[in-house]
Amino acid sequence: MNILLLVSVFFPILGGLAVFFIKGLKSYRAMCIFTAVIALLTAVSNCVLCFTDTVSLTLWEVNDTIAFVFTTDNISRLFTMLMTFMFVLVLFYSFDYMKHDEKSNRFFGFYLCVMGVLAGIYFSSNLITMYMFYEMMTLLSLPLVLHTMTKEAVAAGLKYIFYSIGGAVLSLTAVFYLYNSADSTSFTPGGFLTAEEAQEHPELLLAFVMCAIIGFGCKAGLFPLHDWLPTAHPIAPGPASALLSGIITKSGVVAIIRVVFYSVGVDFIRGTWVQYTWMILALFTVFMGSMLAYREKYLKKRLAFSTVSQVSYVLFGLSLMHPVAFVGALLHVVFHSTIKVDLFLVAGSIIHNTGCERVDELKSVGKKMPISILSFTFASLALIGIPPACGFVSKWMLAEGALSSGIEVFAYLGPAVLLVSALLTAGYLLPVPIDGFFPGSEYKDEHIEKCEPKALSLVPIAVLGILTLILGIFPGPLTNFLETIVTELCL
Amino acid sequence: MSDYLFLIPILFPIITGALILAFPIKKDKSRNAVTFTISIINMIVTLLLLIFCDGESVVLFSFNESLNISLHVDGLGRFFGGLVSILWPFAQLYAYEYMSKEERRNSFFAFFTMTLGSVLGISFSGDLFTMYIFYELLTLLTFPLVMHEGNKESVKAGRKYLAYMLGGAAFALMGLIVLLNFSGTVNFMKGGFLAGVAPENRELLIVVFVVMFMGFGVKAALMPFGKWLISAAVAPTPVTALLHAVAVVKAGAFACIRLIYFCFGAEYLHGSFGQYIALALTIFTILYGSCMAVKETHIKKRLAYSTISNLSYVLFGACLMTDDGLYGSLSHFLVHAVSKIALFFCIGSIIYVTGKTSIYDINGLGHRMKKIFACFTLCALSLIGIPPFSGFMSKYNLLEAAINEGSPLAIVGMLAILVSAVLTAIYLLTIFMRGYFPAENKLSDGIDTAHDPSFRMLTPIMVFTVVVFVLGLLWNNVSSLIML
Repeated sequence: MNILLLVSVFFPILGGLAVFFIKGLKSYRAMCIFTAVIALLTAVSNCVLCFTDTVSLTLWEVNDTIAFVFTTDNISRLFTMLMTFMFVLVLFYSFDYMKHDEKSNRFFGFYLCVMGVLAGIYFSSNLITMYMFYEMMTLLSLPLVLHTMTKEAVAAGLKYIFYSIGGAVLSLTAVFYLYNSADSTSFTPGGFLTAEEAQEHPELLLAFVMCAIIGFGCKAGLFPLHDWLPTAHPIAPGPASALLSGIITKSGVVAIIRVVFYSVGVDFIRGTWVQYTWMILALFTVFMGSMLAYREKYLKKRLAFSTVSQVSYVLFGLSLMHPVAFVGALLHVVFHSTIKVDLFLVAGSIIHNTGCERVDELKSVGKKMPISILSFTFASLALIGIPPACGFVSKWMLAEGALSSGIEVFAYLGPAVLLVSALLTAGYLLPVPIDGFFPGSEYKDEHIEKCEPKALSLVPIAVLGILTLILGIFPGPLTNFLETIVTELCL
Repeated sequence: MSDYLFLIPILFPIITGALILAFPIKKDKSRNAVTFTISIINMIVTLLLLIFCDGESVVLFSFNESLNISLHVDGLGRFFGGLVSILWPFAQLYAYEYMSKEERRNSFFAFFTMTLGSVLGISFSGDLFTMYIFYELLTLLTFPLVMHEGNKESVKAGRKYLAYMLGGAAFALMGLIVLLNFSGTVNFMKGGFLAGVAPENRELLIVVFVVMFMGFGVKAALMPFGKWLISAAVAPTPVTALLHAVAVVKAGAFACIRLIYFCFGAEYLHGSFGQYIALALTIFTILYGSCMAVKETHIKKRLAYSTISNLSYVLFGACLMTDDGLYGSLSHFLVHAVSKIALFFCIGSIIYVTGKTSIYDINGLGHRMKKIFACFTLCALSLIGIPPFSGFMSKYNLLEAAINEGSPLAIVGMLAILVSAVLTAIYLLTIFMRGYFPAENKLSDGIDTAHDPSFRMLTPIMVFTVVVFVLGLLWNNVSSLIML
């Protein structure tokens, strides 16, 4: 059974390498089928792992302290399922999108590799294993970022790896410190650090945990290491930027959860300067991201700034260390992924099919691609947080958690910032559907021709659009599952 | 008796090298065969001796009661001697191909062979004075290699090299005399021979330590005395790779370790201002080397700066003056030797095949020299410190030692090493990026027909890359080797 862990992680990586090296995959069709088969088989393996009992597998034991181990737990189940679903859906979208691209085999090869490596991050059962896959993910997702190979894309790629590696190395301080001071180092709900071990050098411990939050926060677009994100995400091809924003930013979130909730333990962080700094950084990022998105003219860049803001909702929720806020944060992980992947896919289609990149060029686009823009509208409403769409539920729980956490100032400041940011979200997202469907009477486009993407691409867009509604109306099963995580963590 | 046998690996290469110098071998093929055989035989003999002979101190020659020429083979000497004698044949294999385009190959290989003897001499020395002699010999033997090309630039580099080296050794010699005066012996002893000697003069002795540390630090490219390494990058790549990444600089680091742990004694120095000065210098060098490497655009000089930085990791570990520190230091000693030699060889192959030396001229080369760039990338990841490569393990040991030592400077050093890791990523991965992802998909001029070099250059590179990876996985076994 635990051999499936190997399959989930290494099978797609090997499949990805095969896409580069097998000569027989020269024809686009053959490559698509091959990629799809590998992705689906991996998805089956991931599902089996997620819906069965906990298993673990030791990959390699270097010495007493350092070992590479995989295991499944509830956090990994949540993120793996989310990742698998999105990767499979977006894969089908990209078959059409990448059709006329010369280097499509490179794209699909690295696409599969990233799929495996992400599973590796989620299934890691200690910090060093996670760090290893984290770095691998940076390097393997790099070709997705600079796919177009223009000068700007290569520069963005450089920025991407240097920020990411810088962030990862920063968080390595905490990894080293924890490995050095604790006896056992595999993730335990509530933290593996005992009170004695935490008392050894309390200031160092806190400083290093802060380093880890900022460092891993880099991938999640947390201020001050957020700057790569609005450069790197928009420059990637549509499906890649969807996954970068929707899924790969969340690996930063996973890493922070692993450090704070599964390694150190919240008891040593609650009420310290680390918690306050974390909250301030997260709230500042929420506000800053929304503001920057609001004044951004280019659609994809606007969405990237929006990601900066939205992922920090999640981080703010985690920083409260309160059960309701924790559930809200993880709900927002799922909802934001769904919404943002959808938004980026639509944006990708718009740019791919009409060539318009700026928001003010999008007048009457709703008449050209009605289904896509309708889906975009649903997703926008969800992201703003209008009931019954899904963003409402998570934001509600985040605000409720903040208010009932009783942390001075932040209990009120947090919800206030979230509200302002929601207004800004409406301000930066709604112009697209409004202009798209109602270009105004003076705007007469004589030759409106339909340029909806092909069915293979349209289905993922439509599915995600509907999902934003369904998840908002029936959040029950998901919330229940998240509550089991909270009970396990004893928040 | 058995310790006299250790003269063989020291003298054999020196004598045969001198013979080749005196009676030049005209034909490349036969000279290559002869020199390769010498280093292989030497490797086998050294390893056999290291495995089967227990080290006892043996005095070869006495000047007076306290000043001897003596050999003593202990754990540290075994470690360094074994490492050098294993790496040497590979480097030679690489050099044959690389040097086939150069002039004066006979004297090159003669000196190359002789150098091996002097490095082994350093590692098997039983006292500070003997080590000093071999240390000077190493300088003199490598000097012709540095200025091998014979043009203005390399002559200048050679002079600089000689001046720095002799100057550094002079400092070390002064310290040696003072030490001899106070303790009456300079025989290496685990824990140092100064314990309990002249307590009223401790301050003075610690000043002497700082002077000697800087003196030996010249070879280990400690700033502000490390600049020679950059000028010496004009030498042919096998020289830069083997001598300046392994033999010469590592001899400097080795001498510093001997100085700290076997002369003064870690306990004697721990907590003194001498330790703080030494730590501060190494931390400065770590950051300086990495920053300059990021700035440098000549690929070989970039790696030379990287060596400056990495050597100070080793010295930093040693200067923590704890057992953990020594262990971390030696881990990085080993890992850096293997990864850096492989990186230098990769760069050397690029220069050999394309003639390009600037990072701006290698756009897209990764699609032409596939194997070289693959190896380069893997070794770069190791040097950055990404698990499961061995570079991660050595940094882990170093940083663990720093945390356990716990003094403020040690923590600063730990952060410096991490900052330097990011800088390492920047200066190595920009080469990787240019190689694999040229902007606009445009290849640089003149590399269209570039291809991987022949097996003689590829084999050492690939072997080292595999070793870099396997060392990381088998770290448990490696660490028992290093634990002295």
